[in-house]
Amino acid sequence: MTGNGKLVLAIPSKGRLMDQCNAALAKAGIVIERNGPARGYKGEIAGMPEVEVNFVSSGEIAQFLKSGAAHLGITGEDLIRETMADADERVRLIAGLGFGRADVVVAVPACWLDVRRMADLEEMALLYARAHGRRGRVATKYMNLTRRFFARSGVTGYRIVESLGATEGAPAAGLAELIVDITTTGGTLKANGLKVLDDGVMLRSEANLVSSRMAPWTPELSAVEARIAARLRW
Amino acid sequence: MSPAATTADSDALAAVAGRLMPAFADAGYERIAPAVIQPAGLFLDVIGESLRGRTYVFTDPDGEELCLRPDLTVPTCRWHLERHANGNAAARYCYSGSAFRYQPAGADRAHPREFHQAGIESFGAADREADDAAVLALIVEALRASGLEGLQVRIGDLGLFRALINAIAMPERWRRRLKHRFWRADAFRTELARLKSGAAAHGQGLPADLMQALDPSDKAGATARVLDYLDRTGTELIGTRTAEEIAERLLAEAADLREPPLPAETAALIERYVTIKAPAHAAADRLDELARASGIDLTAALTSFRRRLALIEAAGIGMKDAEFSAEFGRNLEYYTGFVFEVTTPALGPRSPIAGGGRYDSLLAEVGASQPVPAVGASIHTERLLAVLPGAAP
Repeated sequence: MTGNGKLVLAIPSKGRLMDQCNAALAKAGIVIERNGPARGYKGEIAGMPEVEVNFVSSGEIAQFLKSGAAHLGITGEDLIRETMADADERVRLIAGLGFGRADVVVAVPACWLDVRRMADLEEMALLYARAHGRRGRVATKYMNLTRRFFARSGVTGYRIVESLGATEGAPAAGLAELIVDITTTGGTLKANGLKVLDDGVMLRSEANLVSSRMAPWTPELSAVEARIAARLRW
Repeated sequence: MSPAATTADSDALAAVAGRLMPAFADAGYERIAPAVIQPAGLFLDVIGESLRGRTYVFTDPDGEELCLRPDLTVPTCRWHLERHANGNAAARYCYSGSAFRYQPAGADRAHPREFHQAGIESFGAADREADDAAVLALIVEALRASGLEGLQVRIGDLGLFRALINAIAMPERWRRRLKHRFWRADAFRTELARLKSGAAAHGQGLPADLMQALDPSDKAGATARVLDYLDRTGTELIGTRTAEEIAERLLAEAADLREPPLPAETAALIERYVTIKAPAHAAADRLDELARASGIDLTAALTSFRRRLALIEAAGIGMKDAEFSAEFGRNLEYYTGFVFEVTTPALGPRSPIAGGGRYDSLLAEVGASQPVPAVGASIHTERLLAVLPGAAP
């Protein structure tokens, strides 16, 4: 991937994120061109021959940055922090790009009138376990972020269960008692009978230009990074 | 990556363990060898999700979540329950083997990801003070017999904290919260401050009209009012919690709103207890004074504490220099009573040579049909090897 001495920039390969990403880059005067077949995964930037663009699934961009397979990437801070416990030692978040904004939140059924804060969750945990003979479950795709946030908040009485989709439906379906999920307007949560805890915002995420400390940098490539960063920081 | 252990290292470890195990066997502990690979679910249930941050958890090809054992205590509990379904048979076990912990800052000689423990566990002994003393005495004797000099003992007693809270007049649910929050100093202080400040700190964020209408003496009525409130506000009752459960906690808050705040002197007494740090005997005297000055009756708990000390000393372990710390043990997982640590000047307080304590709730959590008295301790064999006279640098 990085063998040819170019700066590897990993960006989303499909969907709304890809469109928003291309738009943000174009606005900064950075035009991405796919080369090869239409569904190919490589591309380049007009006027920047030192850069090789890799189109990668959103979930994998964070992995590439973690291992250094990509020098730069555009991805959500939520995925960065989920993938790396020591994110600040492996990557540098250069700039928020103003799109892909979403909050990672702890959401519980709105009918839980008695639960407003994380402290209430912890108190409830013991009573719940006694009443139901098992620990309460938190459904989420953010296993690591959730574990760390809950531990930091002193909430230890739950099991975290992985949810790969439609997480908001888990409490109503009886698959979990509460969830940790990403939300923008809060509309989906509300539609599923859920509310966000008063102190339940774990992370305010947006798409970021991220630099990997683990990639094979050279003075020339660092200069290219600086040019890209300068344009995106308008 | 930490350097791989040499053959000389593992021979030396085996030699040290070989000197410890006969001491345990002579005292009537049966040697067992529990599995290295354990079901992760059990550990997660007992220790909690924080375990994932410190333990090697993995999924086998069948999708079962397993882990490399982070200690040998829970595996020993499982071993015991496989042979005694209801758990309450008296038994004493000893073991010598590896345990595994993830080291976030990277593994090195001081923080190996794979380390060795030699330890003992005693289940089902009715005389708790005697069993606590016996376990501490055996560990110290075994360490001395292996050549260790200059060891220091530090003790704590989580049961003493519980006894203090139980002896203070306050609603039972406040006791429950304080005992539960004891594990985290900041959460504990916050809770204490909340209980001291009275009604202003309770009932925040709750619908005022509902809270006014709730009567702590009318549980059935409370459930009906909650359902009515949900109906009126168009909030659907979803999920596995019942309206009764929601009403129960709201009733507790309603009761808190009507409760006079925790007196400042009481909160001060609790805060002072937590700071007690003194040689063991002096600590008991200090606590006695504190209790008397506040009109609290701690006689039973202090008698038990002093009896245990006497039993330890009768076994030949001097406790004059042993330090008691009220805080000690507050963030050690699953301990419920007496806790102790053995340290050396060479390695300092951050790297104890041995540690252990009482954990009366653990066997029930691992699956016993009733609570079983349990106390145990283990020796960090690598650290012992490092401080023995004649140890290689």
